Amino acid sequence: MKPAAGQIRKTAYAAIILLWMVAPLFIGKYWTDVLNNVAIYAVLGLSLNIILGYGGMFHMGHAAFYAVGAYTTAIVNTAWGVPVLWLMPAAGLAAGLFALVVARPIIHLRGDYLLIVTIGMVEIVRIALINNVFGITGGANGIFGISSPSVFGFQVNSIVAPAHYFYLVTAFLAITIVLFYLLENSRFGRALKFLCSDEVAAQGSGINTAGYKLAAFVIGAVWAGMTGTLYASKMGFISPESFSFWESVVMFMIVILGGSGNIAGVLLGAALIIGLPEIFQGLQQYRLLIFGLALMIMMIFRPQGILPPKPRSYPIDKLEKNEVSF
Amino acid sequence: MEQFFTQLTNGLAVGGIYALIALGYTMVYGVLKLINFAHGDLFTIGAYLGLTLLTSLALTDHIGGIAGILLLAVMAMGLVGIIGILLDRAAYKPLRTSPRLSAVVSALGASIVLSNTVMLVYGPSTRVYPQGLLPSQVFYIFGLPVPVMRFIILGASILLMIGLYVFIQRTKIGTAIRAAAIDQDAARLMGINVDRVIMLVFFIGPALGGAAGVMVGLYYGQITFTMGWTYGLKAFTAAILGGIGNIPGAMVGGLLLGVIEALGAAYISMAWKDAIAFFVLILILIVRPTGLLGERVAEKI
Amino acid sequence: MKRLLFLILTGIVAATANPALAQDPIKIGLMCPLTGSWAAEGKDMKQIVELLADQVNNEGGLLGKEVKIVIGDDSGDPRTAALAAQRMATREVAAVIGTYGSSITEASQNIYASANIIQVANGSTAVRLTEKGLPYFFRTCPRDDEQGRVAVKTLLDSGYENIAILHDNTTYAKGLADEAKKLLDQKEVNIVFFDALTPGEQDYGTILSKMKTKDPDVVFFTGYYPEAGLMLRQKMEKGWDVPFIGGDATNNPDLVKIAGNKAAEGFRFLSPPVPGDLPTKEAREFLEAYEAAYHTTPGSIWAVLAGDGFRVIVEAIKQTQSTDTQKMADYLHNEMEGFSGLTGDIAFNQKGDRIGDVYRVYRVDAGGNFVLTE
Repeated sequence: MKPAAGQIRKTAYAAIILLWMVAPLFIGKYWTDVLNNVAIYAVLGLSLNIILGYGGMFHMGHAAFYAVGAYTTAIVNTAWGVPVLWLMPAAGLAAGLFALVVARPIIHLRGDYLLIVTIGMVEIVRIALINNVFGITGGANGIFGISSPSVFGFQVNSIVAPAHYFYLVTAFLAITIVLFYLLENSRFGRALKFLCSDEVAAQGSGINTAGYKLAAFVIGAVWAGMTGTLYASKMGFISPESFSFWESVVMFMIVILGGSGNIAGVLLGAALIIGLPEIFQGLQQYRLLIFGLALMIMMIFRPQGILPPKPRSYPIDKLEKNEVSF
Repeated sequence: MEQFFTQLTNGLAVGGIYALIALGYTMVYGVLKLINFAHGDLFTIGAYLGLTLLTSLALTDHIGGIAGILLLAVMAMGLVGIIGILLDRAAYKPLRTSPRLSAVVSALGASIVLSNTVMLVYGPSTRVYPQGLLPSQVFYIFGLPVPVMRFIILGASILLMIGLYVFIQRTKIGTAIRAAAIDQDAARLMGINVDRVIMLVFFIGPALGGAAGVMVGLYYGQITFTMGWTYGLKAFTAAILGGIGNIPGAMVGGLLLGVIEALGAAYISMAWKDAIAFFVLILILIVRPTGLLGERVAEKI
Repeated sequence: MKRLLFLILTGIVAATANPALAQDPIKIGLMCPLTGSWAAEGKDMKQIVELLADQVNNEGGLLGKEVKIVIGDDSGDPRTAALAAQRMATREVAAVIGTYGSSITEASQNIYASANIIQVANGSTAVRLTEKGLPYFFRTCPRDDEQGRVAVKTLLDSGYENIAILHDNTTYAKGLADEAKKLLDQKEVNIVFFDALTPGEQDYGTILSKMKTKDPDVVFFTGYYPEAGLMLRQKMEKGWDVPFIGGDATNNPDLVKIAGNKAAEGFRFLSPPVPGDLPTKEAREFLEAYEAAYHTTPGSIWAVLAGDGFRVIVEAIKQTQSTDTQKMADYLHNEMEGFSGLTGDIAFNQKGDRIGDVYRVYRVDAGGNFVLTE
């Protein structure tokens, strides 16, 4: 019975991946661009998942890291003309450093206190951007004229050809999934999940809880910052309203609705949260109402998220043969 | 100095409203550990229902200004309270035993539903309360003009809060609410009908939010369907600032947040007002990780 | 469950992605915020454009075809707007009206440009939008620098010396405030106060108290009508009688409702003329039809400007007898002159900006009516 179920799942995943890869050939520019948005938010969701899903920290300010990355890209690109994709590591680094500085003092806060502090953080960042902090963020106007990414000299213009951009962002999404899958199954990932389920016991087992939490924050922030590069180069301009508290809420909902702590769940969450409002476009002013209802209903019927993570098992026979490592 | 006192009264007036909304957050949180993100929208609904009742029943014409407004407020509170109970039934009750954050997402969904319902029913434009219902005199304190309504708003908020505090501390039902907040299972064993307590909490919290909505409508005159989100966030901040689950904490947090905003805007920067408020909140939480007055929520290990 | 969802998803995707095959009607797009904080503007825009389209259809349509309005919701958010524009571009529209906010329009500009679709924005006043050299972009609203110029002239003509400028940190209000400040700095006046309030709140006592300590002769508020109305009311309560002057975002009858007649009296604002003040037949007919259909007068001036966007597009199609983008754009750039709009005469320069003196100064009288001065 079990191998069969696993087989079905594998086939389903393969089919979805295949469909995803060929989708832009059939669905036209608009829906390709919807998929681009889904992919961007999938990466954002996955990066938040490290903090919220594995680390269990109530973090509702992820848009702040995303904003730092996007603005780093925009500022450096428009000022010195550095190609945007080269700026990805810089954007990640900036967001990571920012996370290190702000998360350090707040990391020990519990649950809802951390939640409001991260909300405060994202609001402060947005207000700082609007007020043109250091005179470099362009205020409410934002920054325009960001160049589109180029891969080996090939311009990937998401406006003219969303399909080109689709493969770029899909590549980044694929790398993200692989790396985060490895991370999830590493010593680090297991420690994080452990301290999420029982912090006191984790501390008792010699896990440096504060260090791990901080590391989770920084990794999540680095990734969100790099995604900011992709977003800035996609839009060609950025402004503070793209990084509001509501954006953080959207990322939060993606993780929780899809299945906190499960990569496949987060991907599905991104597809639903970003895709559904577009599917409801025809309903015009009613679309958000229906979206809200759908959100409630899905949550009520799948309280653990639509695809919750499976509890990790260590079969005894495999342990003896050293097939499972700690 | 003159500037300081003026800004202090400005801050207290706004803070009183934050505090009133914060009470709803805190009560629900105290019993269910649920951050009810739809609470701000219940406040909006209170303001809109108040407007409908005011214009359709013409209460103030029949039974006089003050009595009419009081009756109006009570009716709006009752209706919003009932909506609160229905909201709990629809969105939160099925998730009682689920992970906490699932209920938060359900609350966010409910918030979208409620605010968009208000938009579709009443239209997206700003709605306006009729004018001239309230006294418009101006007090002079040390030669500073202070509109008398500011005192009435602050007074009404404080009165409602004290009433609630006495109710929770001194009555049998209040004791049951406190017991359920500490340990639901133990409370059940003591013969307390916890479901009834939760229902009551979901009546009182939203009702207070509804009262704040009516007050905002009557005093400021202008209401929009998006205002609940802003007020809700501020009130949540206030509840956390004071120590969530803690009723005096919500009052202190609300008033303090209003004053911080007013003084920060006056002496540091207007445009950075909200950022200053959040910054102070973060500082306070770093020093006192469970809010100013500490939380009143039992932690299970 | 998952696969079922996926099936439903792909089903809906397939259903929506294939546009109807009927090529017959002439489609004109309207991109507007139907949800989110600017939903009120979007609703007005939609009502006005649909009303005008009905009128065209009742008079026999356009080039013998029916006019159909395709609506896209941009939610007042750049990311959603980019998607709405991509969606619009797949719907074979002859031209697009909209949208409201400048940064929202900016998110859609390049998409329409690359799809060769004419875009006529109605509320996006940021200067840079028409400085990019996009051949098919137009706007019926004047730019911030134009309004800044008129505002400064009005302030100086009234003899004010100590001026407070207040904005709300939105793109539009900040842009206008910056333009006004730039021009005023060159003149012999003091700017005693320059700061932003937070829009969407109810209590502006703090900012009023703070401004009062600077003792300005006048306050130039560049933000929107709800905040303006609240401040007028609250400053009267405080017994402060400084005059307020507003930008065109305060041109909304609700301003007086919020402030009350007494507090609003004497308030002045700049705005393109409203249809009620135009002597033309088109404006009169439009107002009558609007009142008959919706039992109220149009709200903000920007929604009316969306109506003008529709009317210039229809005129271009009529005059060129085609829906060819290049022909229409050439007509709008070069040939349209003195076209009788709902907000005064319309013509465009090579950048796509509206030319001519558009702004008027309005004053609120004791009865709460907006009266044209001069």
